[in-house]
Amino acid sequence: MDRYELITDRNTDLTANSWVVVNLRADSDNRTKRHYQHWACQHCERPACAGVCPVTAIRKLPHGPVVINENKCIGCRYCYQACPFKIPRFDFAKRVTRKCHLCYNRTPLLNYMKPACVAACPVGALAFDYRSEIIKEAIKRVTNLTRPSYILGLTEAGGTDMITILPAEPKNMGLVVAPKKVVNHTLDKIRISASGFMAASVIAGGMYFYSKPTKNRDAGLGDK
Amino acid sequence: MIIVCGIPAIVGSGLLWELSEKWSTVYGYLFLLAATLLVFLLAPQLKQGHQAASEAVESSPRFYVWLSVLAAFIFLAGYALIASLVLSMEILEFSLQIPWATLVSSYTWLVVAGSGLCIINALGGVFGMHRYEMMSKRIVFLSLTTIMFGLMFILFHLGRPERMPIQNAISPNFRSAIAWMGMLYNIYLVIVVVELWLLIRADLAERAEQAEGWKRDILRLLALKDLNDSRLGGILQKMRLDRLLYHPRLHRILDDPRLPRITATMAFITGVAALTMLGSVFAHAEARALWYGPYYPIYFLVSALFTGYGVLLAATIITYRVKGEEMSSESKALMFEMAQVLALLLAVGFALTSYRLVTGLFDPLRQGPTLFILKGPLSPAFWIFEVGLMSVLPSFILLRAAKKKSLGGVLAGSLMVLVGAFVMRYLFLVGGQIYPNTFPRFSADLPTILPSYMPTITEVFLIVGIFSGFLLAYTLGERFLPLKEEGPEHA
Repeated sequence: MDRYELITDRNTDLTANSWVVVNLRADSDNRTKRHYQHWACQHCERPACAGVCPVTAIRKLPHGPVVINENKCIGCRYCYQACPFKIPRFDFAKRVTRKCHLCYNRTPLLNYMKPACVAACPVGALAFDYRSEIIKEAIKRVTNLTRPSYILGLTEAGGTDMITILPAEPKNMGLVVAPKKVVNHTLDKIRISASGFMAASVIAGGMYFYSKPTKNRDAGLGDK
Repeated sequence: MIIVCGIPAIVGSGLLWELSEKWSTVYGYLFLLAATLLVFLLAPQLKQGHQAASEAVESSPRFYVWLSVLAAFIFLAGYALIASLVLSMEILEFSLQIPWATLVSSYTWLVVAGSGLCIINALGGVFGMHRYEMMSKRIVFLSLTTIMFGLMFILFHLGRPERMPIQNAISPNFRSAIAWMGMLYNIYLVIVVVELWLLIRADLAERAEQAEGWKRDILRLLALKDLNDSRLGGILQKMRLDRLLYHPRLHRILDDPRLPRITATMAFITGVAALTMLGSVFAHAEARALWYGPYYPIYFLVSALFTGYGVLLAATIITYRVKGEEMSSESKALMFEMAQVLALLLAVGFALTSYRLVTGLFDPLRQGPTLFILKGPLSPAFWIFEVGLMSVLPSFILLRAAKKKSLGGVLAGSLMVLVGAFVMRYLFLVGGQIYPNTFPRFSADLPTILPSYMPTITEVFLIVGIFSGFLLAYTLGERFLPLKEEGPEHA
């Protein structure tokens, strides 16, 4: 089965200017059913992108959104490599990376103004609230449904601030699959870099043993 | 004459092809004009050199042809750069799915080789092997130029390079490997410049004695020798710089015999740390199955050593060949020893690669990426270049050349390593990003549509231009700096 078979006639990819897309997708186990599916930055609780941005242009704001400061971004695209959902897109005209910022400038006070997509949704499919409230709402909606469902964002990448109800598991929907743990933990990074430093000390030792026994051979070259 | 006319013709036809696509006619013609002007400007020099018919390479026509070829390629890179600034950055690295492409792979190739040269220099400078010490000028100069031009790749890869130094200084992210890598390479460059200056200082002072007029003054200033009697010294005195430059405490430090060793040690530590952080840039990315894990910082260290030896051997032997000079017996012996060490390092690197692949086959998390490397669409790059051209063939060629005392064999082996390593970096970088993040992941039996990437013509211009810049810097350094190996007679 090919991933592209899951993608139906309505498939748009995220771009630097369209930060939220709604695609019509099929479940690979049950091809007859097709569902609209909302896809945007998932606003991880422990964002990997913020951890790797070399100039701290990406920040997790206290009320949830993960925001790129476009006046600071140097356009290295490391956030794209680190992102477990592969969300950030490089804007070739502005030369910075851009993505959904959950309308952080509309929602400084919770529930004062909703994000644009929530405010625009005519049928109330999207909701904006505290994470715990949204999870309660998601569980309520899932229990009311007769078909099997999957709640995306409870454990993916250590939990995200975007909770999506999917009709099937993300891997059957042709979505990018994130591990169910915190991605790019700082301790994990230290572990990986430490292996390099250990190898460096091994190489230094090897160089010492290479230089020591052959030093006498250089006696003829003279001591400066 | 064929070469002199041929190069602009090739460049011009390439440009016409480029222009016929649709855009940026003006810049193309501007470039063409500049390249033609350059050849005209160089023509009298060429003629003069030809008339002199000197034996030395520096004044021969082929030296100027070589310089003009490099300059033409640098102009091409400038054209690509201006076009990317005026039009859009899309003409450099257009792919959204593969944002790090050939520019970054060339960067890793050059910078990792430069860091390897820094480690090799430590053999002489830190661990006190005299036979490596006599090559240290060339090693340090090569290390400086490779890393400088390597960082240039990153500069042009970044969307907003002008923000990098400012933002990296005022708000660095200490959890980010790129921030560490940038900082450490910058510190490393400063230390290496000091190291190179210490190595060539005595020679500059010696040249100052032979020179006259303003040349003498500038050389004396560069060597930080007394300038009291000259005009430049008066200017310095007026600017009150002389108190700083000729402070007795500074000169006590500079004349300390331990200083070269201390700078070499500092360069070794920062160079290795920067290299480890460069490996970590990729190894930290948990979302990239092929890169993630503690393996790549280690492999980057080993591959730095063998690409560093490759660059050193190739540069030294080619320099001697072009100049038509005979290598001293000590240098020759060192070349063959280095060839043997290089063969050993290639074996170590190959063992590491095999370990990674064999353990990957049994690890459920890494099985997909491993199969992707072994059987995927980029597998020819792995089997032909990484295994054949980089590991297996050169090991035999180098060992055989070292046994038969053939410098040509050593040169061939080291060039093979360099070409193979270039493709290996490309495979590592682009392959790591092509491997899908969606299910079903890659499997050899199923047809999977993977993101595609092909370098654009402007990208190729830029890469070739930066490599030409590196070669030009090395050529000029070889011409004007005393990089030659010092035998015992000079010591």
